[in-house]
Amino acid sequence: MMTKLLSKEMKLTASPLSFIFIAFAAMTMIPGYPILCGAFFICLGIFYTFQQATECDDISYTVLLPVRKRDVVTAKFLFAVIIELISFTACTVLTAVRMNALSGADAYLRNPMMNANTAYLGFVLLIFAMFNIFFLGGFFRTAYKTGMPFIVFCIVAFIVISAAEAIHHVPGFEYMNRTAGVSKAQCIILALGAVVFAAGTILSHRISASSFERIDF
Amino acid sequence: MENILDVQGISKSYPLFRLNNISFSVQAGEVMGFVGRNGAGKTTTLKAVLNLVHPDAGQVKILGMDFLGHEDQVKQQIGYAVGGISYYKRKKVRDIIAVTRTFYDNWDDGECTHYMTAFKIDGDKKIMELSEGMKVKFYLTMALSHHAKLLILDEPTSGLDPVSRDEMTVIFRKLAEKGVAILFSTHITSDLEKCADSITYIKDGELAASMKKDDFIQKYTAEMGTTPTLEDIMIYIEKEEVEI
Repeated sequence: MMTKLLSKEMKLTASPLSFIFIAFAAMTMIPGYPILCGAFFICLGIFYTFQQATECDDISYTVLLPVRKRDVVTAKFLFAVIIELISFTACTVLTAVRMNALSGADAYLRNPMMNANTAYLGFVLLIFAMFNIFFLGGFFRTAYKTGMPFIVFCIVAFIVISAAEAIHHVPGFEYMNRTAGVSKAQCIILALGAVVFAAGTILSHRISASSFERIDF
Repeated sequence: MENILDVQGISKSYPLFRLNNISFSVQAGEVMGFVGRNGAGKTTTLKAVLNLVHPDAGQVKILGMDFLGHEDQVKQQIGYAVGGISYYKRKKVRDIIAVTRTFYDNWDDGECTHYMTAFKIDGDKKIMELSEGMKVKFYLTMALSHHAKLLILDEPTSGLDPVSRDEMTVIFRKLAEKGVAILFSTHITSDLEKCADSITYIKDGELAASMKKDDFIQKYTAEMGTTPTLEDIMIYIEKEEVEI
């Protein structure tokens, strides 16, 4: 049943922008730019699908299909997570290219902003986790309001991006921006990002499924 | 005859409205007109039947099954159509059918083609290109293609021209002859004169009557002293002094 619902999400509900915006993973390669904004734009692409879903009465249509309401929520979470994981994979590949093949590039060596490294990937996962918690969790409280949950996500994402961009300027934390090799501290950031992403998404899904069951349409 | 839908004591409170103790049943092959003014509680009742709103009290059984415990099984047997709504308006009819058919165990491509042809629906048209009447026919096609035993229709004839409305009532009668139970909410009573077997009347969230159409008319013939139409009865029941 989940395969059918996911197929329905892809064929009927999804905005093409959700797929096109995966290309923002390429921002990983831009020097002198807050590259975490790429993760934000990828989330913006997923947001367009939810906005389109409310415009085309997708929720009303889906809850009348012979499925459980909980499965409707699961399918929409899976859609978002699939886009996020494809994007994360692209970010990882591009980070590896930037750290290895292009490690000597002058533009990267003189980059005052966050470098693409292991810690960056941790922060990407953290941005995705914030989207799943604040946007998806907020959306399923009503199943039609997209504006306020997205504004909340934007604020949180701005704070995460600012903090991530600031941390390597703090004396003693310069190693966070190193691209030579993989440091233990950077790995901890990646691991933390992965844990927050997994735990936050699972928790948000549980709360969303429960909220969605209680909604009067 | 077998009860396809059994609604017992549905109640739901909102801050400014209360749906109170609504009970009725629909049998196989019966067209029930669900009547009341705008805001009387018709849509809320239908949504409660479909588990789209959560009643404070009451029970809904479809084909003898409790909706809550058998949600996906029950929905396999239901078709729902609502007037004035456009699902996936930028998608083609054919694409929506291709996705929808995968969810139903009893989907019948032959029936789908049959109704598409009978209703003259062009599969290559987008939903936004269909007239209101064609949209309702499209939703009916999808409901009938999985052999729904119960059709729940929320104001399906609203916004249709008189010819399309007449066409719809003929379609409902033919479906009823095939054994489909139809619960049909409307405030356009002339449609019910043509196709309803029974009437459930709801006023201000209260059940005013639920009986055979002939008995309903007879009851008000005695009260009103003339032989009224359903519209006359509705005006008689609802008439209020307007103070300006």
